[in-house]
Amino acid sequence: MTQQTSKGTDGVSRRKFLVGAGTAGVVGIAGCTTNPGASSGNSGGNGSSDNGNSGSGDLSGEVIIKGSSTVYPVSEAMAEEFMKEHDVNVSVDSTGSGGGFQNHFCPGNADINGASRPIKDSEKQLCSENGVKPVEFQVASDALTVAVNNNADWVDCLSFEQLSQIWRPDGAQKWSDINSEWPDKEFELYGPASSSGTFDWFIDNVIQDADAIRDDYEPTEDDNRIIQGIEGSKYAMGFFGYAYYEENKNNVKAVQIKENADGSCTEPSIENAKNGDYPMARPLFIYAAQSSLEEKEQVYAFMEYYLKQAETDIVSRIGYVPSSAELRDENLSKLEQYSSN
Amino acid sequence: MAAEQEGATGGWFGESEHISRLPGKVFAAVCLSATLFGIVMVAGLLVYVTKDAIRPFTANPGWFLVFFLTLVLPSVAALGYYSRRGDGEATVALTALGIPFFGLLLGSGVLLLFIDVLSVVEWFAFVVAAVVAGGVIVGHRRLRAGASFVEEFVVGAASLVVLAPLTFEFVSTFPTVPQAWLIYLFTFGLSGAVVGGLIVARRRNDQRAGAIAAGALFAVVTAGVFIDPSTGITPQIWVILFTFAGMPTALYVEAVVRSRQRRPLGLLFPLIVVAGMLLGAVLVDLLGFAGPEAWLDFQFLTNANSRFPEEAGIYPALIGSVMMMVVVAVSSFPIGVGAALYLEEYAPNDGPLGVLVRFIEINISNLAGVPSVVYGLLGLALFVNWLNFASGIVVVGGMTVGLLILPIIIISAQEAIRAVPSSLRQASYGMGATRWQTIRRVVLPEALPGILTGSILAFGRAIGETAPLLMIGAAASVFQPPDGFFDIFSAMPRQIYAWVGQPAYEFQYGVMAAGVVTLITVMLSMNAAAILIRNKYQRRS
Repeated sequence: MTQQTSKGTDGVSRRKFLVGAGTAGVVGIAGCTTNPGASSGNSGGNGSSDNGNSGSGDLSGEVIIKGSSTVYPVSEAMAEEFMKEHDVNVSVDSTGSGGGFQNHFCPGNADINGASRPIKDSEKQLCSENGVKPVEFQVASDALTVAVNNNADWVDCLSFEQLSQIWRPDGAQKWSDINSEWPDKEFELYGPASSSGTFDWFIDNVIQDADAIRDDYEPTEDDNRIIQGIEGSKYAMGFFGYAYYEENKNNVKAVQIKENADGSCTEPSIENAKNGDYPMARPLFIYAAQSSLEEKEQVYAFMEYYLKQAETDIVSRIGYVPSSAELRDENLSKLEQYSSN
Repeated sequence: MAAEQEGATGGWFGESEHISRLPGKVFAAVCLSATLFGIVMVAGLLVYVTKDAIRPFTANPGWFLVFFLTLVLPSVAALGYYSRRGDGEATVALTALGIPFFGLLLGSGVLLLFIDVLSVVEWFAFVVAAVVAGGVIVGHRRLRAGASFVEEFVVGAASLVVLAPLTFEFVSTFPTVPQAWLIYLFTFGLSGAVVGGLIVARRRNDQRAGAIAAGALFAVVTAGVFIDPSTGITPQIWVILFTFAGMPTALYVEAVVRSRQRRPLGLLFPLIVVAGMLLGAVLVDLLGFAGPEAWLDFQFLTNANSRFPEEAGIYPALIGSVMMMVVVAVSSFPIGVGAALYLEEYAPNDGPLGVLVRFIEINISNLAGVPSVVYGLLGLALFVNWLNFASGIVVVGGMTVGLLILPIIIISAQEAIRAVPSSLRQASYGMGATRWQTIRRVVLPEALPGILTGSILAFGRAIGETAPLLMIGAAASVFQPPDGFFDIFSAMPRQIYAWVGQPAYEFQYGVMAAGVVTLITVMLSMNAAAILIRNKYQRRS
């Protein structure tokens, strides 16, 4: 501040020097310029995600997938493979089928929702209130697996009726209530939480004469906790998607299932689910928002890829039954109705 | 009482030691065991996780032997020698090793930022905009030296808020800009050299030496540009790494050599370590000893997530976390410190308004204890549903976590400001300073170390928060790092949570452990950097 007084010829000449040096520098640099195209500057400047980026493909933007934790591994695999070919940012989240519809898909914050059961009427209602129209595609099947502890040597096969006795409200309390030869010990039950599609499927198809599961079991969204619970107690039982059983074949014992007392016991496996022998095979779905399919090119392209690949080994390696060739063609022709071009 | 009774019997207090000291000894022992219990539990957990992440037992014993002989033994021996000499050589040795290491870490971070988040054109536009805005403010001060505060404020605000963004937009539409390495050279290289020159000039109190140092540094960074790119060191990488690692190292070496002309032996320590590493690597390769099959390796840090555990990486989540922390710091630190300053320095203390202020303070303290999942719901309601931001984007995540740590920052800043002795304020007022001048020049500098300490702890908590991210919809799997602050993202704790839920055993134990170790490392280096900044201010005040 005190030096301000001495601004005279000195200051001017310094400024002149700066201007001169600056000009010389600019001229010098001009020789070493590049032309990345002003468009790349634009796309960054706007901060918006869906222009610019002329990467490997001509697609860009985001695809947001929420929903079932059972379908999550499939969607994750599809996203991973799809993104090797296209410069699209696919994000996958596991929120439970109901949680996804309720909090993300129907409010319009997601493009696709995975579901391990068909969409409910109440959810359709919520979606239409927000102007979201869900389009259903069945992409795979799962052999829902009931598992017990490795040391539970008394039980090998259970019928729907017995499962219902165990899991319905006010049902059996001890193993001996089901079969008098079994131990006189109480059940220790682990199962999915109520936001899960597996929970809903089990109520609708196994516990037929009641509309709820007993409330004295250990509910969790994390299927690994169910397996750990079963591992930890000889008298435990739980159920979850087949993929989790396949990873833990040595840790827990899968129970064979028969639909009624004179049916034949069938063990859960991809083959048995595929040929229809396993009674607890259930379809897995994804729901796409119609507006996303029609308006977002990248969502349509991703769905096309998903539906095609759903028939391949990607799905069976995860531990689910891939969709049949007929189902794939049916899905693709359904998808074509929403093509924007 | 005891002393009186003993006095009555004629003995001195403390003569019969065991009576008076036993409770104290027991208390000290209890305190010690509590401390040890805490430390041992946490350390045990960390060792367990690190073991899962590194898997040391998969390595060949020969591998350990080679590295023990080439790396561990010489460096421990050297350190032992330095500390036996006892004249600060050990500190010199560790600092000489630490400066290039942290410089490389920081430089790599900056490089990552430029590779994935900022394009070089944006950086160029940003620098030009900053130079223009700064130039206008400085020029105005020169031309109108006696301008009033209001005028200066208006000019400053106008150039920052209007001129700078306009320049940014204008420059980013330029059809041609200089080559990337030229931009880096004249932004990072040149400013690094100037800062280095200023440091040397101040240290030696010699303008000419400073100019020479700046010139030399700039000459080296320019010369390095011409290294053959086939070595893997492209001009961009060279400029940034040299600016962040080479320049601080050179300055430190210069300082050590100048100040202790006798034997700057400590400076050899980094050479011993690096030579040991290289020698070990070569020998292991020659002898064919396999290293540990660690989950935490280079590809884990640079890969995106994958459904195959061997290919899974944390890179997009790492970048997401860093960007989220930028938003957290920008959104919560100024507001928190501002609120604390108002409450401590300006807010009325008595009367009905004082009651209101006290009521607000009590509420802020209570907010610090509200569970994080509630803040997640608050963020979802406030930013996503009410302000209509997209869910799961960086800004929403950062602001939600910022809200979560805001009360902690306010409380710790309040404590720090309250700890400034009021005699300092009185002295400042006595000198005729206004309240604003007193706060700006006396209270704030004095309180800053304390404010930073509290904030560092809060930021450490923020980077590990998972529940708010779950609530605002940060995705479990993101395969690309966010491009900007309005992109969807995933953060490290969210990614770790997703891995724990995977069916495969390798994800739940190996990959998860590697993620945890990465998260803790990032957190610790953030804290270390912040502590360095804090210490610098502490010394100055």
